[in-house]
Amino acid sequence: MKAFVVAFHPSRESLHAAMLDRVLAGLRAGGAEVRLADLAAEGFRAELSLDERRAYRTPLAPGDRPDIDAHVDALRWCDTLVFVYPTWWSGQPAALTGWLDRVFGNGVAWSFPPGAKRPQPLLGNVGRVVAVTTHGSSKLINAIQGEPGKRVLSRAVRGMCRGVRTRFTWLAMYGVDHSTREQRQAFLDRVEAKMRSLS
Amino acid sequence: MRAVVVLAHPDPQSFSHALADRACAALRDAGHDVTLHDLYAEGFGAVMSEGERHAYHGDQPVRDPLVAAHVADVQSAQALVFVYPTWVSTLPAILKGWLERVMVPGVGFRFNKSGRVVPGLTHVRKIVGISVYGAPRRAVWLANDNGRRTLVRAMRLSTGVRTRSRWLALYSIDATQPEDRAAFLDSVGAAMGEL
Repeated sequence: MKAFVVAFHPSRESLHAAMLDRVLAGLRAGGAEVRLADLAAEGFRAELSLDERRAYRTPLAPGDRPDIDAHVDALRWCDTLVFVYPTWWSGQPAALTGWLDRVFGNGVAWSFPPGAKRPQPLLGNVGRVVAVTTHGSSKLINAIQGEPGKRVLSRAVRGMCRGVRTRFTWLAMYGVDHSTREQRQAFLDRVEAKMRSLS
Repeated sequence: MRAVVVLAHPDPQSFSHALADRACAALRDAGHDVTLHDLYAEGFGAVMSEGERHAYHGDQPVRDPLVAAHVADVQSAQALVFVYPTWVSTLPAILKGWLERVMVPGVGFRFNKSGRVVPGLTHVRKIVGISVYGAPRRAVWLANDNGRRTLVRAMRLSTGVRTRSRWLALYSIDATQPEDRAAFLDSVGAAMGEL
């Protein structure tokens, strides 16, 4: 298995840093090859720039944007795409939203060949999308809000892979604001075990 | 009424800018007091800093003077108007980051004694979303229209359920003709005039 892990955690001491450590440990224990984009550590720029916007109709060429070249390579290389992040305002944190805005672009995630009615997906190599996340609020509140973060990954991102033939694995801890240390440990253990079993 | 218009598009020549200009003009013509925040032009940073994260649950979660200016405007607003292109079925990162950095505890909401979220912006009576989509309406619906969900449902945790929302969308933008876009601009102007 070739896993590309895209992670954002707000600080090294956070639960999310521990989640990332467990994801990596589980994947490696299962024998997966792993590449990592640690957006906080890289200081990844989240705002799609004016130049990037103006180049939107031209497919990205290698070397155009050095800060995302490695991410694009890893995206084309992987068969499993793993996102690790805290859910804020019902979705991915801006750093990860910006990663999708900038990396999931023309010539990478989709193309618009002349005569096509809609964009054609390019990430047929991705057979599984995994999300590992926490929510401050309860599962009920998130359901009422319509789970925008989950749907961005299970519908929009997966749509640029193999659609419903790409498997989707959702590992979420709800109500983390009111959780106990034991509950958080149990979640971390579940995440590591699940990652190990994927390969 | 006091309206804050938040615009998220990097290109000053964009259709989103034209939409924001039309919305502001129509609101002013209707006698409202309007403040426009063009997030890219202001150099608004999308990503919450580690310092902000550490201060998030403290007494002073706002650390950045630009964020403080946005907080002051939002706290005196009766209408919030968001103008943006939908990317990857949701808000552009700069607008998602605006929610994360401006709508902090004590501004957008607060936690009560039992730790539940209590709305902090009950003076906001209207939330308006004006968005252009590359995808057709059906595909937007199938993907869950995540930006709209975030602004209309998640935002109302901050404003209370009595806040009304208005959604103005132009789908399949790449397939539209100039007259379609002109008609959409007019409909945005009309809707803002009646707000």
